[in-house]
Amino acid sequence: MFVQRRTKGGIFAAAVVAAAALVASALPAHAETGVTSSTIKLGVTLPLTGAAAPGYNKIPAAMKAYFDYVNANGGVNGRQIKLVVKDDAYSPSQTLSVTNDLILKDKVFALVGTLGTANNEATTRLVNSQGVPRLFVNTGFSGFADMKKYPTTFPLFPSYATEAKIMGKYLSDNFAGHKVALIYQDDDFGMDALKGFSTAGTTFVAKIPYAALSQADPSVIGKWVTSIVASGADTVVMFGVTSATGALAGGLYKAGLIGKVQLILGSVGSDGTTLKGLLGPLAPALAGSIAASFLPSPSDATDEYITQFKAINTQYNAGATFDNNVLVGMNTAMMTVQALRAAGMSPTRASLIKAIETKGSTWASAAFSPLLYSAKSHVGYTGYWFGKLGLDGNAVSVDGPGKYTLYTTDSGSGAVVKAAAARPAMPAKGLPKN
Amino acid sequence: MQIFINTILVGLSSGAIYSLMSLALVLVWRSTRVVNFAAAGQAILSTYIGYEAMSSMHNYWLSLPVAILAGAGISALVEALVMRPLAKRSKGTPVEAIAPVIATLGVLGGIRSLAGLIWGNNFIQYTSPLSSKGYTIGQTTIPFSPQNAAIVIGAVVVMAMFAAIFKFTRLGLALRAASFQPEISRLAGVRVDRIRTIGWAFAGAAGAVAGALVTPTSYLSPNSLDLLLVSGFVAAVIGGLESLIGAVVGGVVLGLGFAFILQYIGTSVTFSAAFIILVIVLLIRPQGIFGRRSGREA
Amino acid sequence: MKHKSPIRRLAILLFIGALLIAASGRVDQLRAYQGAQVAIFAIAISAIVLLTGYSGQISLGHGALMAVGGYAAVLSRTHWNIPYPLSFIIGSAVAGVFGFLLGIAAARLKGPYLAGTTLALAVGLPSLANQFHVLGGEQGLTFDAGNVPSWLGSDFSQYRWFFVVTVIAAIAVFWLLRNLLSTRYGRRWRAIRSNPTAAALAGINVGRAKVLAFTLSSTVAGLAGSLFAMLLGLVAPLAFTLTLSFTLVTGAVLAGVSNLGGSIVGAVVLVSIPELSNAAASHFGGSDKVTANLPGVITSVLLIATVLFIPNGPKMPKLSRQ
Repeated sequence: MFVQRRTKGGIFAAAVVAAAALVASALPAHAETGVTSSTIKLGVTLPLTGAAAPGYNKIPAAMKAYFDYVNANGGVNGRQIKLVVKDDAYSPSQTLSVTNDLILKDKVFALVGTLGTANNEATTRLVNSQGVPRLFVNTGFSGFADMKKYPTTFPLFPSYATEAKIMGKYLSDNFAGHKVALIYQDDDFGMDALKGFSTAGTTFVAKIPYAALSQADPSVIGKWVTSIVASGADTVVMFGVTSATGALAGGLYKAGLIGKVQLILGSVGSDGTTLKGLLGPLAPALAGSIAASFLPSPSDATDEYITQFKAINTQYNAGATFDNNVLVGMNTAMMTVQALRAAGMSPTRASLIKAIETKGSTWASAAFSPLLYSAKSHVGYTGYWFGKLGLDGNAVSVDGPGKYTLYTTDSGSGAVVKAAAARPAMPAKGLPKN
Repeated sequence: MQIFINTILVGLSSGAIYSLMSLALVLVWRSTRVVNFAAAGQAILSTYIGYEAMSSMHNYWLSLPVAILAGAGISALVEALVMRPLAKRSKGTPVEAIAPVIATLGVLGGIRSLAGLIWGNNFIQYTSPLSSKGYTIGQTTIPFSPQNAAIVIGAVVVMAMFAAIFKFTRLGLALRAASFQPEISRLAGVRVDRIRTIGWAFAGAAGAVAGALVTPTSYLSPNSLDLLLVSGFVAAVIGGLESLIGAVVGGVVLGLGFAFILQYIGTSVTFSAAFIILVIVLLIRPQGIFGRRSGREA
Repeated sequence: MKHKSPIRRLAILLFIGALLIAASGRVDQLRAYQGAQVAIFAIAISAIVLLTGYSGQISLGHGALMAVGGYAAVLSRTHWNIPYPLSFIIGSAVAGVFGFLLGIAAARLKGPYLAGTTLALAVGLPSLANQFHVLGGEQGLTFDAGNVPSWLGSDFSQYRWFFVVTVIAAIAVFWLLRNLLSTRYGRRWRAIRSNPTAAALAGINVGRAKVLAFTLSSTVAGLAGSLFAMLLGLVAPLAFTLTLSFTLVTGAVLAGVSNLGGSIVGAVVLVSIPELSNAAASHFGGSDKVTANLPGVITSVLLIATVLFIPNGPKMPKLSRQ
């Protein structure tokens, strides 16, 4: 049965290849994989099911909504963008399987916004051997900026090390003399952060690691709180995912510590809307917490990016609550549209990569941070601002609404620079004309 | 000293949570000799139904019986539609012992996907009116809240109620007979199939209590009870699988062991802690704390 | 098969292997990848068949044993720079040693107690990689399988090469296990499974036979883990989850548990069910939560139906019957 199946598949595949060859020869000579005269096909992998799915599963619909909006307004150089979404349940082996499908079967032109460190690592060999551009990967692991190992990969988010260094600077500027405890996820995510804090010279009265996903266990949360109390900390830095932030808030509430310790949250675990869903009536317990972010707050009605994305969300993403995940999806999609436009009238994978390297640093994006793309660097954002969570769970800049102070630095030993935030204006109607 | 006492309280309150799931697994094991991995799935589904009931009635206490009845019904359906025909088909074959495990895993996956399909893969709040703020003694707030007290009471009530049913009622006798000697029971006029379904319904009800009491301490999602399934099973094995008291003791041993390992050894062994505790217990007593030697034969 | 000599068995297996490898040249890379997946799953499932179907022990932790093999293979290849076929042998050996230690504890435990212990192992062991820097943390360690040998020509794809490597490994495993099971060891294990008390009375050292079975099974799982590392290009804690352990036991049940040849069928079903589910789900469409979860519902229904209607696995032709 096994043999028969394969042989049949072989004949079928041969027929398909022959047919495809015939079709291909009828097309203009420059046709690139995934690009036709009227369409461009892109792919994304992320967890839509499983324990890691909540929150992230809103991203692809937001990306699609933005692409639909661009398509309805003429597409990219006359081509309609199609996004193929695959669920990997956050398992690297599934990521490789579905990425095989995307690249070898669906024949996508490029991958955009693929999520997860180990997940992107697992597809690297395939992506490199096929020369597939992998744009704006959704992870803060600093390693993906290594152009030798990942020549076609472009990170977008600032690295965890960058974030920790900046947070360390913020702590020494504003919380000198306080007793600070750190809770961090005990894997690369947290290790990167520890490196950043040690570069910044931050000292903690307690460092409390936890294993990823163990925040679902009551004993683990109990241990956090017991250790915080024992250390006498008045300030707690949380460097974990959103469900861990939620668990910590619950634990502090239980111990009667709300209002007695100041929480400082990393960008990964501070999305107000997701936290509200997690905490329900306990959500106000997080009010007053300080959160680091690189994108503007999704609730900031004065921000031109937010208002434009919100309008698109209402029209093309029926019913979705506008939160940080929707913002991430739309922002990634807008970066992608600019990259595709810059890749030229007959885009190729090479011209797409060249376009980001030569022009990517000038493109419009919602984050206040500059982009560092160049022929010598694939580093994306490098900066954060700090906000205070309100009772509604959304962050307002510590300098007052609409006023953002940006802290930038690199993943290494460079200094942290403080400056007023600046970014390119949102293109008219949210449609890039680069 | 404060740390030591807090660690004990953390261990006891999480131990009670493990006990509830452990009871659901032991009830199924006692009635049909199956390790029911679908228990977490069934509890998820009944908790979603409880959540729906609360959304329409706006009362947590009224939603509890709805969830419990739903849990019993779901569990009975799983037994009647999947487990019973499977037991008959696989009888006397090499897969007899292991096929039910796979079937329950299939049910677990199916229910999780179904829950995602209906309610979405999001975090949902199913809140109880009981405070989750710890009791205050003098100046200190202890890590033990009214909601934790409800969980402890829930575990003790479920344990005592089913222990009484097993010990003092004809139904309990029939349940024991049907699982140990199905053929003889059938000859003696026990309607074995129906009795086994009732055994599963009891377990489903216990699982529903677990879901409905534990969820207010965290959140609801299709995967939110995954970790509890593992701890519940480990607790059941520690307790010896046979005994309802063992299920609760197993949960408390695991909870205390886990809390002390996390506090005094470190978090690097978080996920290995259950394995370490289990190996220590089974090295001393291979049949678990309350298991009978003969009960080991699976 | 009982009366066939080892040499004849080898000839038959080699012939099948040659056919498969020849056929692999006629399919696209995607099918070659899936073929390699099938071969790896078949090896891992045969480890469970050996353990559960022959010696009667249940393991829900073979995903963790695969992790041991995979990590050992990657580490030995990276640090000693050995050829990768050799790293597979080291991966298998380390998993074997690990399995031996586990087997000593396992031989004392029965049924659900062993299931619980191995389940706790499957949950606990892979996450340890986050604790030791040398194990690469969450992003894992990459496995460098090098290039396709140049004498195969430039259009010989890497996935096709992986398929060839995994098929050769599978043939070796099946041949060795097949021969082993027709020796006195195989007979002892069968005796223990059907009646441990009688086996003990007949003078079989039940404990020792069980430890041997666990050790061998772990060795085979370690090989599967090493090959998995090659195919995936890395080892990482997330690649060896509890789900993987469950998947392997599922495959063994689909194989009929005591049927070595059935392992291949179990593996084919495991690899093809997600594809069938996705294809079926894409016909219905609907909202995001439906398209995300429908494949899972279909997979579960297919799985339950398979267990329910063919609980003893497929009827295999004579080739693999004992």
